[in-house]
Amino acid sequence: MTVLGGIGFTAPWLLAALLALPVLWLILRAVPPAPIRRRFPGVALLLGLTDDESVSDRTPWWLLLLRMLTVAAIIIGLAGPVLNPQRDQSSGSGPLLMVLDGSWAGASGWPRQMEAIEAQLTRAGRAGRPVGFMVLTAPEAPLFQAADVWRSRLPGLEPAPWQPTEGNLARAQAAIADAGRFDTMWFADGLDYDGRDAMLASLRSHGTVEAFQTGANTLAIATARYEDGAVMLTLRRAAAGLEREVTVEAQGRDPAGNARVLATAQTTFEADATEAETALSLPSELRARITSFDIAGQRSAGATTLVDDALRRREVALIGGRSDREGLQLLAPLHYIEQALAPTADLIDGSIAEVLPANPDVIVLADIATLAPAEAEPLQEWIDKGGMLIRFAGPRIAASDVSRIEEDPLMPVRLRAGGRSVGGAMSWGEPKSLAPFRDSSPFYGLTIPDDVSVSAQVVAQPDPTLAQRVIASLSDGTPLVTRKKVGQGQIVLFHVTATAEWSSLPLSGLFVEMMERLATSSAAASPDAEALDGTTWTPVRVMDGFGTLSDAGTMPGIDGARLLDAPTGAEVPPGIYASGDRRIARNVIGPETELTPAGWPADITVHGLSVAPEQPIAGWLLGLAILLLAADAAASLALSGRLLKTSSTTVASALLVLSLTLAPENLGAQTEAETEALSAAAEVSLAHVLTGNREVDDVAAAGLRGLSDTLFFRTSVEPALPSGVDLETDELAFYPILYWPITPDQPRPSDAAYVKLNDYLRSGGLILFDTRDADIARFGTASANGRKLQELAAPLDIPPLEPVPTDHVLTRTFYLLQDFPGRHASRDIWVEAAPPDAEKVEGMPFRNLNDGVTPVVIGGNDWASAWAVSENGAPLLPIGRGFSGDRQRELALRFGVNLIMHVLTGNYKSDQVHVPALLDRLGQ
Amino acid sequence: MTGTPAQEETARLALRARAESEASRLPPLLARAEYLAGAVLLGAHGRRRAGLGDDFWQYRPAQTGDSRRAIDHRRSAMGDHEFVREREWQIAQSVMLWVDQGASMRFASTADLPEKADRARLLSLALAILLIRGGERVGLTGTELPPRRGNPQILRLTEMLSRDSEADYAPPEHRAMIPNARAVFVSDFMGDLGQVREALTKAADRGVRGALLHVLDPSEEAFPFAGRTVFESMGGTLRHETLKANDLRDRYIDRLAARKHELQQLCTLTGWRYGLHHTDKPAQTGLLWLYGALDRAA
Repeated sequence: MTVLGGIGFTAPWLLAALLALPVLWLILRAVPPAPIRRRFPGVALLLGLTDDESVSDRTPWWLLLLRMLTVAAIIIGLAGPVLNPQRDQSSGSGPLLMVLDGSWAGASGWPRQMEAIEAQLTRAGRAGRPVGFMVLTAPEAPLFQAADVWRSRLPGLEPAPWQPTEGNLARAQAAIADAGRFDTMWFADGLDYDGRDAMLASLRSHGTVEAFQTGANTLAIATARYEDGAVMLTLRRAAAGLEREVTVEAQGRDPAGNARVLATAQTTFEADATEAETALSLPSELRARITSFDIAGQRSAGATTLVDDALRRREVALIGGRSDREGLQLLAPLHYIEQALAPTADLIDGSIAEVLPANPDVIVLADIATLAPAEAEPLQEWIDKGGMLIRFAGPRIAASDVSRIEEDPLMPVRLRAGGRSVGGAMSWGEPKSLAPFRDSSPFYGLTIPDDVSVSAQVVAQPDPTLAQRVIASLSDGTPLVTRKKVGQGQIVLFHVTATAEWSSLPLSGLFVEMMERLATSSAAASPDAEALDGTTWTPVRVMDGFGTLSDAGTMPGIDGARLLDAPTGAEVPPGIYASGDRRIARNVIGPETELTPAGWPADITVHGLSVAPEQPIAGWLLGLAILLLAADAAASLALSGRLLKTSSTTVASALLVLSLTLAPENLGAQTEAETEALSAAAEVSLAHVLTGNREVDDVAAAGLRGLSDTLFFRTSVEPALPSGVDLETDELAFYPILYWPITPDQPRPSDAAYVKLNDYLRSGGLILFDTRDADIARFGTASANGRKLQELAAPLDIPPLEPVPTDHVLTRTFYLLQDFPGRHASRDIWVEAAPPDAEKVEGMPFRNLNDGVTPVVIGGNDWASAWAVSENGAPLLPIGRGFSGDRQRELALRFGVNLIMHVLTGNYKSDQVHVPALLDRLGQ
Repeated sequence: MTGTPAQEETARLALRARAESEASRLPPLLARAEYLAGAVLLGAHGRRRAGLGDDFWQYRPAQTGDSRRAIDHRRSAMGDHEFVREREWQIAQSVMLWVDQGASMRFASTADLPEKADRARLLSLALAILLIRGGERVGLTGTELPPRRGNPQILRLTEMLSRDSEADYAPPEHRAMIPNARAVFVSDFMGDLGQVREALTKAADRGVRGALLHVLDPSEEAFPFAGRTVFESMGGTLRHETLKANDLRDRYIDRLAARKHELQQLCTLTGWRYGLHHTDKPAQTGLLWLYGALDRAA
């Protein structure tokens, strides 16, 4: 590619054609414009006139310039100009290794990074350099291939949700150890990590290293904490800088289950600070719905922090027995449980019937033996749906018959009568201590303090199922805590009291830990590794580098002890981990993770990512040439007089065409509809309904034209040309009358069209229905057209009808008529019925009939055929025979005139009956 | 008509078809002309149709010299004086029309405007209808259609007026002019003025007076042309090429003005009236002028 003045040309030799332009100038200048041949009668006056100048009009210089520009644009366009040609900044040779950090920190700028890589791949491809790829977060031995091969694989690259680990770097260094010489382009994400310097040194031992790094600052959000009733969010940035405001969005699901932003919080990085904090105080209901917090506008795993049980405060309902010893707080049955749970759970008090509607996670019953059926049944349902019932024994349970002979549904085991007490004054033996927890127990891994002892308990009845249900036992093997799963929930029974009466368990820290393990409380803000010892956690949902969650599928579980310690990487990807009911989130940024900007040695070139891509501009130039040609055509026409001054419409339309080619079209339909409406509204115009049957529509149009002509000649109504209306699309309000010929196969109008028709009828319009079959049928279902008419007219708002009475106003609006023939001469014409109380007054020729215009006239005389005229005004269709036929056509036209007069003047002629009375009243 | 009977039959059918297609042109022109004429009757003059054609009379006292038979006894019996019923002396005028049918008349500068020939025919037919309703006799100059009265003459006029002439510029027909009649010439007068002069002087010799209606297209007045142009007459017999049409404009307009002036002079000399009508103006104005011109020329 040759570069001239910042523009590259793929075919620079074509530019030599520009030298021909001056020659073209001379040729074009010499040739006058071609003459126009014009017919003009006045030529007789021109004969003998000579031109003043013997030289013809030369093509003006500006037109020549226009044409030169056109030719130049074509030549340059064909020479293949390219804007921003990539000049080789460092033209190297030999293999090239592209190293990507590929971590979450680059996710926000990932598309730009891909563009930069693609641009470099294009360059390398042009230079013929083999290219290898290495992503440090998932290193493989680099394979040097043609650049085009890599280009097709670029879209498959994705950032990993972690930083390159030391293991990764070690593998990467091993992979390139014996790769020979190559140059390196390192696309870095801008964050420092351990082992990066070693990696750089290793790369530099093979050749030169160039670095490409975005200038954007990396933002991250640390794991959210719950403190003092609010969610604390800590934001970090890699490099301190100017003051910057950041929005944090709490993502979650609304009650309808749709993912949405539940709350937002603003925070500001102070100038020169790398950390910002904000507190988000939310109702617990809302807080429980939050799944993650995002930094708005940042799309990376580091800018997303997942939320686990740590933020979730469980609701625990505490229900104690009757406390008859008021005031002795330490002896209250629920005191120790309250103390254990209050810091981490929301507690509810009340009766069972009161707390169940709140759907608590846990209900604790302290020494309550029997429940009323009205309480027991909903309680059982609640457990079936996943509730956890924790019961504590006590004197009442020991004294009752609950679960004695048969296992109570709300008890995990059967109990022996009376219970036992050990180590007391009246018994043998020492108080018993706890046996170590078995590995199937939820308490496995908890250390048992030495001072916990049990002196009294209720005893489980030996049963085949007992062994599975024991989750804690005394040193002599007696069950201490038993558990039964019911449906999705479970029932746990502590065989001792919740007070310190029967054992010292409630006084110990073990009690709190046991309650935690039972998931009665939320986990502490940071569960320590010891608490997780011996548990296995399986990933449920994992994040990718962009911070998007996806199902973990069949990823292997992780030992609880390692879950919190191990750095995030391929083994421990960030995401949500579950063990039993508990969930823990591993986030990219922990509470202590610091972000350090990556630094480069001074002798390494660091490029930004911004790439001005090569842009071929040949298309633009050729387009410009076409526009210039169009301008040239217009100018030539104007110059030679072909573009007349009077034909400014031509210019306008040419401009319109031009603008339509350049601008989106949307103009035509609108203006067409408007002009049609305008012309229909400007003058009286008859209309017929388009049936879709071409023949019928043509006859209807011709008929209305004939009627319009008749009106024009005989009356003061001078209608414009009739129009056909499409009921679905056209506005009806402009037409005083609609002629609706019925064909058996016409489509039924839509409901919207019927609404329009009914509006039309109510606002004074008239529809003339014509079944056109009066020669063979009368109304009713006897003919196909009649059936169709009934079907079409059923949704219309039509008043009661009657055959035209002899004194109807239609008989005398213009002509005096008694028959209304068309092409057929049936007398069955129906109009709106007269009111039943219309009486003929003595001495009056007509009844005093209703006001207004009948909304419909229904007949079958095929009037349009009788009215129809050809373009010449001659009748279109034969009517009858001889003179009687002409007479029938005349009567049909008279009916048409009467009808239009009726539509336009209403009952004016009917009111004429009052003339004698009016004259009388005037005193004449 | 030499040929087999079948050929003759075909020829007759073809003639019939042509005749019908010709006839089909009549009603629109006739209808338009009647419509135009109807507007004049109702509007400008206010003459009632019922009065037309009836005798007009008045009574005046009998004077010496009046014939005894002239005395109207019915009127005289009402009083002591004798009255004579006097009829107004009415003679129907003959009006001869000449409408230029030449090719130059079939010109319209834009599609919106009617051809000059169309306007000329419309005006003359409407005038003919008016005159015939007024009881005059109307015909064409020349021998083809002498003046007659009655509605059938309108149909005949319509037919004759619809005939196109092949000539580029048709000379006025001045043969067989009836002495002391009146005449109307409608043309664009683009052809040889000598012929017009001859026709008018001949008419003046015979005592024929009338009106000259000069029908022009607006582009013939304005000459809105520019650039290198070859002008051709409508029939293609005349040709004029110019390199700069816009330079010719002033001289063309001067020549046209001179021609108009000459026509006016001619009219003044012969006692005719000269009128100018443009096809972009309503036909009504032309008809009013024509009617008025004939009225006053009487």
